Amino acid sequence: MNLYEHTIVARQDTSPAQIKQLTDKYSKIVEKNDGEIVQTEEWGLLNLSYIIKKNRKGNYIHFKIKGSGKIIDELEKNEVIDKNLLRYITVKVKKFDLDAKYFSKKDEYEKKEYKKDYNRD
Amino acid sequence: MPSKKRAGNKKKGSQSNFAKLSIFQTSKYKFKKSCPLSVKGAPVVDYKNIRLLKKYMSENGKILPSRITNVSQKKQRELSLSIKRARNLALI
Repeated sequence: MNLYEHTIVARQDTSPAQIKQLTDKYSKIVEKNDGEIVQTEEWGLLNLSYIIKKNRKGNYIHFKIKGSGKIIDELEKNEVIDKNLLRYITVKVKKFDLDAKYFSKKDEYEKKEYKKDYNRD
Repeated sequence: MPSKKRAGNKKKGSQSNFAKLSIFQTSKYKFKKSCPLSVKGAPVVDYKNIRLLKKYMSENGKILPSRITNVSQKKQRELSLSIKRARNLALI
């Protein structure tokens, strides 16, 4: 059994219902191949740092998957032909970091950091 | 002529590099020798931690060399890998 972090980026004009559909679709693929989804995170609509296929923003969905490598083969096979997706990435990890949430309340964190930096100077 | 111009550019480059130095070093004369990411309680290098990764990148989005940031070889490898992952996801 391996642990994987899997992130997909959907197009900017996908509706919330469609995003849920996508999440369900890929969750089902994982479950069919005897995998287990430990956690799903939705990072929401984020600004892309460069334009991909005429999209300025993207919907990010993040999975933490436990299972064999076959799942990843199956997932990526489906994601290549999915027209709603812009990018996907799979990272094999040794341990899941379930507490760290880098994308929730992002603005507040950033503001605090900047203030600290200014004070230091 | 072209060689002279190039030399001029290099000087400018080193100056701006020196400006970067002050971000990571406490003062001009006292240089930090230890790696900022290997200390106890240091943040984990991860492709999702954009705030951390941005610290180790230039304004143009290039990865800063470890001789400027004082990052150890091991951590520098981790950094560059995670920066490239974040770039692929268009986070940086």
